[in-house]
Amino acid sequence: MAPFDVSKLESVEPRRPNPAVRAIATIVVAVASSLFLLFMLGPIVGLVSAGGARGVASLASDRELRASLLLTAVTATIATLLGIIGATPLAYLLARRSFRGRAVVSALMDLPLVIPHPVAGIALLLVLGRGSPVGGALYSAGLRVASSPVGIVCAMLFVSAPLYVSAAREAFARVDARYESVARTLGDDAWRAFRRVTLPLSARGLTAAAVVMWARAVSEFGAIVILTYNPKVVSVLSYDRFTSYGLSEALPVAAVLVLFALVPLAALRALRAGEPLRG
Amino acid sequence: MLRLVADTLVLYLAASLSKPMQPVLDAYSARTGTVIQRESGASLEHIRKVTELHRVPDLMLLADAEVIPQLLVPKYATWYAEFARNRLVVAYTARSRHASEINAGNWMAMLQRSDVEVGRTDPNLAPAGYRTLLMFQLAERYYKRPGLAAALLRHAPESNVRPNAAELAALLEAGELDYIFDYQSVAESNGFRFLTLPAAIDLGDANRAAEYATVSVKVRGSSPGQTLTLKGQPILYGLTMPSDAPHPQAAKRFLDYLTSPQTIAALRAAHIDMLEHPIVVGTGAPAEVHGAVRR
Repeated sequence: MAPFDVSKLESVEPRRPNPAVRAIATIVVAVASSLFLLFMLGPIVGLVSAGGARGVASLASDRELRASLLLTAVTATIATLLGIIGATPLAYLLARRSFRGRAVVSALMDLPLVIPHPVAGIALLLVLGRGSPVGGALYSAGLRVASSPVGIVCAMLFVSAPLYVSAAREAFARVDARYESVARTLGDDAWRAFRRVTLPLSARGLTAAAVVMWARAVSEFGAIVILTYNPKVVSVLSYDRFTSYGLSEALPVAAVLVLFALVPLAALRALRAGEPLRG
Repeated sequence: MLRLVADTLVLYLAASLSKPMQPVLDAYSARTGTVIQRESGASLEHIRKVTELHRVPDLMLLADAEVIPQLLVPKYATWYAEFARNRLVVAYTARSRHASEINAGNWMAMLQRSDVEVGRTDPNLAPAGYRTLLMFQLAERYYKRPGLAAALLRHAPESNVRPNAAELAALLEAGELDYIFDYQSVAESNGFRFLTLPAAIDLGDANRAAEYATVSVKVRGSSPGQTLTLKGQPILYGLTMPSDAPHPQAAKRFLDYLTSPQTIAALRAAHIDMLEHPIVVGTGAPAEVHGAVRR
C-alpha cells in the first residue's frame, strides 16, 4: 500500500451541501422538534394551568394532601437511599469488571422496566406478603410490608432502581479506568482508589442517577396501589379523588405532584449546568 | 349472517362480577364474533369515567343499582334494570389463622383477635365497602352487643382497606389477610371458604328492606367536605345502557343474550344470584331485556 500523503488531505474541500437541501433539513428539524415539544409539554402545561393554582392554594387547607405529599417525599427518599446503598456496588461491577453472566445481570436489571406495574406489585406481594416465607417472618418480627409504608418503599425501589443502576453504570464507565490504575500504583488499595478517584469523578453522574430514581419513585402508582392503598401516596390520592369526586378535585392533586417533582429535576439541571457539553 | 366487521361491545363491569361473568362473556364472543372491551373496577369509578371523562360504554353492570338513578339518570341514562342479588359473607381460606375454629357463633370474637388481619373495601368507592359498615351496625343490633360495630371497624383498619371487592379478594388469596368482608359471589367464584351471616344482617334478603333501612352510614359526598348518607338496602345489582352508547345495536344484542333463560341459568351456576325477572325502572329500556317487570 502506498504511504499516506498528508499534503493531499489539505487539498480536499469539505463537501458543501446544496443550499436547498440544507434549508429543508433545517425546516424538518425545527418542525419535528416543535411538534415533539408540544406533545410533551402540552399535557403538563394543561394540567398545571387547570389545577396548579387551586392545588397550591389547597395545600393550606387540605391536610390529607399535605400528609400524602410528606409520605411520598419520605418514602421516595428512603427508596432512593436504599437504591444508592444497594445498587452502587453493582453498577460499579457492571461498569468495571467483566465477569461471566454480566450481560445476563444487566438484562435482569432492566427487566423491572418492562413489567407492568400492577404485575410488579403482585410479584412483590407474593415474595414479601404475609403469606410468603420471607413476608411471614418479617410480619412475625413486627414488620408488615404490604398495607404499610414499607410496602410503598419496596414498590418504589423495585420499579425505579433499574434507572439508577443503568445511569450509575454509565457514570462509572465515563471515568477513565487508567486514573484508578495510577492511584493503585501509587499505593492505594482498591477501596481507597474508588473513594478518592472514581467516586469524586463520577459524583455528578451518580447524583443525577439518584435524582432520576427519586423522580420515578414519586410518580409510581400501579405497584403501590396493590401493596399499600392506605396510607395514600400522592398518585393514589389523585386516583382516589378522581373516583370519589371527579376530575375537578383530582386535577389540583395531580398538578401539585407535577410542581413537587419540578424540585429535584430543577436541582438536576442546576447540577449539570456547569458540566461541559460532551458525552 | 356473516359479518365482515366484528361487532364491538364496550362493557363496564363491577369488579365483583368480573370473574364469575368471564365464561359467559367468552361464550358470547366465541358464538357471535363480538369483540368485548371489558373494563372491571369499582362501580363509582365506572360512573366517573362516564360523567367526568365522557368515556361512555355500551353497557354498565354495577354492584349497586341505586347509584344509577343517583348519578347517571337523566343526563347519561334514562332507565336501569335491577338484575341480581348478592349477600355479604365473611370469606377466608384454609391458610387463614383460626380457619378451623371460626363459626356462626364466634365470628365476631374471632375477627377481633389481635393475631388476625381483617380486610374490607373502601366505603367511599365501592358499594361492598359501605355495605360492610351497614352490616356492622345491623350486627350490633341483631346480636345485642353495644359497641360491636365500632370494634369490628377497629379490627379492619384503614391499612387493610382496598378500592374494590376483587382487589380485596386478591389480598386474601395472597395470604396477606385472614378474613375479608365481601360478596358471596366473590367468595364462591374465587373458591374461598365463607361464613354465611344471618339474613337479618347480610343485606341479601329482598323482603327485609324496611329492617335494613333502619341503619345508615355516612360516606364522602360529591365534593370534599360533603357527606352523603346511605341507608341500608337489600343488595341489588343494576345495569344500564347509556343514552350515548357508541354501539347500541351490539348492546341490545348482548342484552338479549344476557337476559335469556339459558344465560341466567349459566350465571347462576357461576354464583351470580340472578333475579328471575329483571326489574326495570325508568323509560326507554329496549325490548331485548327479556321478562322484565316494571316498577
